[in-house]
Amino acid sequence: MGDAVLTQFFSGFSLVAILIIAALGLAVIFGVAGVINMAHGEFIMVGAYVASVVQSGLGGNTFWSIPICFVAVGLLGLVVERTVIRGLYDRPLETLLATWGVSLILIVIIKMIFGTELHYVGSPEMLQGGFPAPGNLPFPWYRLFLILLSILLLVLTFVLFFRTKFGLAVRAVRRNRSMSEAMGINTARVDMLIFAYGSGLAGVAGAVLAPIKTVSPTMGFPYAVDSFMVLVMGGVGNLLGVPVGAAIIGEGETILAFLFNSVIGKLLVFLLIVLVIRIVPRGIFGYQERTLGHRR
Amino acid sequence: MSGNILEITGLTTRVSGYTILDDLYFSVEENELRVLLGPNGAGKTTLIDMISGRYKPTGGKILFENRDITGLAPHKIFKRGICRKFQVPNMYETLSVFDNVMISLAGHRLVVQSLFHKHTATDQDRVVEILEFIGLVEKAGFPADALSHGERQWLEMGMLIAADPKLLLLDEPTTGMTEADKQKTADLIQRIAERHTVLLVEHDMHVVRRLGNFVTVLHQGGILAEGPLSDVVANEEVRQVYLGQGKFSGA
Amino acid sequence: MTTVAAAGRFNLRREPMFPLWSIAGVAAVVAILATYPLYGTEYVMNLLGMFVCFSIFALSISLIWGFAGILSLGQAIYFGMGAYFIALSLKLSYAAENPTRYGGTIPDYMEWNGLTEVPTIMAPLMHIEVAIVCLLFFPTLLAFIFGVITFKRHIYGVYCAVITLAEALILQEFIIEYQAYTGGFNGITDYETYNNMYFLWVILGVAVLLFAASRLLTHSRIGTVLKSVRDNDVRAEFNGYEVANYRIFVFCFASMMAAIAGGLYAAWMGIVSHLDTGPILSIEGVIWAAVGGRATVIGPFIGTFLVKGAEFFLSEQLAWAWQLVMGLLFIFVVKFMPDGIMGTIGKSIAMGRQRAAYAESEDAFQSGPMAVITRLRSAFTDGNRGFMDNLLGRSGRRD
Repeated sequence: MGDAVLTQFFSGFSLVAILIIAALGLAVIFGVAGVINMAHGEFIMVGAYVASVVQSGLGGNTFWSIPICFVAVGLLGLVVERTVIRGLYDRPLETLLATWGVSLILIVIIKMIFGTELHYVGSPEMLQGGFPAPGNLPFPWYRLFLILLSILLLVLTFVLFFRTKFGLAVRAVRRNRSMSEAMGINTARVDMLIFAYGSGLAGVAGAVLAPIKTVSPTMGFPYAVDSFMVLVMGGVGNLLGVPVGAAIIGEGETILAFLFNSVIGKLLVFLLIVLVIRIVPRGIFGYQERTLGHRR
Repeated sequence: MSGNILEITGLTTRVSGYTILDDLYFSVEENELRVLLGPNGAGKTTLIDMISGRYKPTGGKILFENRDITGLAPHKIFKRGICRKFQVPNMYETLSVFDNVMISLAGHRLVVQSLFHKHTATDQDRVVEILEFIGLVEKAGFPADALSHGERQWLEMGMLIAADPKLLLLDEPTTGMTEADKQKTADLIQRIAERHTVLLVEHDMHVVRRLGNFVTVLHQGGILAEGPLSDVVANEEVRQVYLGQGKFSGA
Repeated sequence: MTTVAAAGRFNLRREPMFPLWSIAGVAAVVAILATYPLYGTEYVMNLLGMFVCFSIFALSISLIWGFAGILSLGQAIYFGMGAYFIALSLKLSYAAENPTRYGGTIPDYMEWNGLTEVPTIMAPLMHIEVAIVCLLFFPTLLAFIFGVITFKRHIYGVYCAVITLAEALILQEFIIEYQAYTGGFNGITDYETYNNMYFLWVILGVAVLLFAASRLLTHSRIGTVLKSVRDNDVRAEFNGYEVANYRIFVFCFASMMAAIAGGLYAAWMGIVSHLDTGPILSIEGVIWAAVGGRATVIGPFIGTFLVKGAEFFLSEQLAWAWQLVMGLLFIFVVKFMPDGIMGTIGKSIAMGRQRAAYAESEDAFQSGPMAVITRLRSAFTDGNRGFMDNLLGRSGRRD
């Protein structure tokens, strides 16, 4: 039993990595621009379709599709920000509904172009197969790749935020929007670029998820909800919230699903999340408001 | 204890390493109009926040009518008889001016009471009376967000009067007002103080001079001086603290 | 110049709780809908009953979102709970009287999943009275627990929306997973439905009742308190209101309402599935309320009939186009019409009335008999201007 749980623990790593990759873009957008992007899951879905085009149309593999998806979905995010989100920044609940509208439209467009049948995307040859991991289960190379990629993306985002001038502007906007504006930071531009960057990350998520999941127009929504849960658990004030939230949720769901079943696992993890925000309302690493009476 | 309605002992507040209030001892007598002075960052608003329950203090005790109210939730502190005004006017934007005051009338704070309460003619008269007092009767039907800045300040004061608390905490009610509006506000405060205990945070020395007989000067989270306005103005330390800001020049 | 009487005249005029025109309007609409089965088609009658159920559901969203500022993306949880209680009850009693092919007297889906008898915990649901009590009690209890957990900790806004969304998704997965008890993916169907004119009257009656109750609620003191909490919860807190309790109250009330709508829906439609508890229905309800006017009680009805009606009309022609229209509708309403149809109309009426009242009040002192008195008085009191200037209302200063 203990051994089996240990095995689950290791295989849970891949879910954690997936959650990190999926949630990172959302965390960046919500954390900086304060926008809940309900179309995040559909951005991932679009990324997956772009990856399938890259593979079947251009003959490239996942390594090719990662940058292409980043740029393509990033541009899509830019367009959505310009047309839909602009002007709604001070109304978070409204952006939530508007981006839901965007998600519906994206699903229709993808259905019109690709049809409703499932698409399959293969993983790169060099990442096929696996190596033995503790607990007798073969550990696929692709999972290791996902884990490394999630770490890489976290580091890249960290560097972007904390080691560049743009990151300084981003952090300033996050802390005090009106003050940053007064100091000459173009907050509208920061919002736009952050939205594009976050969307691009969703595209990357789509590119690397395509080989391990079936690609369909409606595949995105569960990822969006899982990503929200990661944010709620980990908090949005700090980049550390994403890996910590993803680790608790990913490991929790994997191990509990093994012990009971996947639905019970999800329920228990959900109850855990509710318990956590009951104790720390803004998530584990959330920026706890200094004021008791928090205003939007 | 004496006739002190508010008695604060050893109040300390630290937020992420910074000490904002430092072992503060402070009291207000019943029916007094006390003015709280101090340079920016002295801890005036924080003190108001502590009394009204917005933050929990790190240490110390706040006694109101000899009962401990330290760290209670805002609505419980309200129930004891303390109501505050915010520095930036805070009201119910989409409600009418009339409803803003109506909803603030004393009593009926429980869900069940609100569910079955019918507004009587007496309630209405009382609201109109208050609206006349603050000079907004003509705008009774306007949504609050249609008011000018000065009018918003008055409306919030009207809401406080409606709540009829024992102690009113007014946090810089004249910020951003024209001279004429400031005068009107000072009159208003004076009239409020006839019936209530008032703790007023104020920056504008003209207003303070009109109202203040007894002032407390906060500086760096502690009390620097306390006494009649003329004494405090003459105080060498106070002049030092304020010199950079030039507030007391010509006093 | 202003007197209490004047204030009373032009500013404090309040709408009566139920204006005559609204009673007449509601009566007319109800009469049309109630008699429709006498001359209309069965297909449209089916739709009408369904729309009214959905309208009640949208009204419940309006109450918490439009009036109290809580956006729940899981309101269908309560709708679905209500629907499942009634559907289960009807199914159990139907199965008891109509043995399946294999002779069992338990619901067919239970049999397919290897159950030989109804689980004891479900057996009492056989009696519709028990089901109705459950429908009123359990959704409200769940809403209460949720409210205590979140609102008491100042969790609302986007966090609340996201959590309720996840809640709805999990409930949906639960229903699919435990198919022996819930009918799983296909839901519960094949039971005796109440799909006739008399039950349409029941639905309409309940709708009118809940509509009136909502109007009472939102236009009495508690409605004003809820709006003030929505506008500025900090001020309300420092004004002595325990904000969380008000949020919990309205959340429970709305959830019970959604459950009632769900129960009626199950009896009317004859089929209930996991889709009736999921996030999609929840968000659709939000858009119905938003289109009609989320801070009005009539808006949700209008929004539901318009959007849902358009859906049935459009999806007959082009199924895919409907989703596109829905998506655009979301964006359009949020960006250009946040108050919805009724909210926008109501606002412009109120504004016009206000302007007229204000103009009237000015006019009263500038023209007509009052004006003469006013001018006479100021002619003697205002020393800065000439006497004749005052009397004639001219400006005193001449260039």
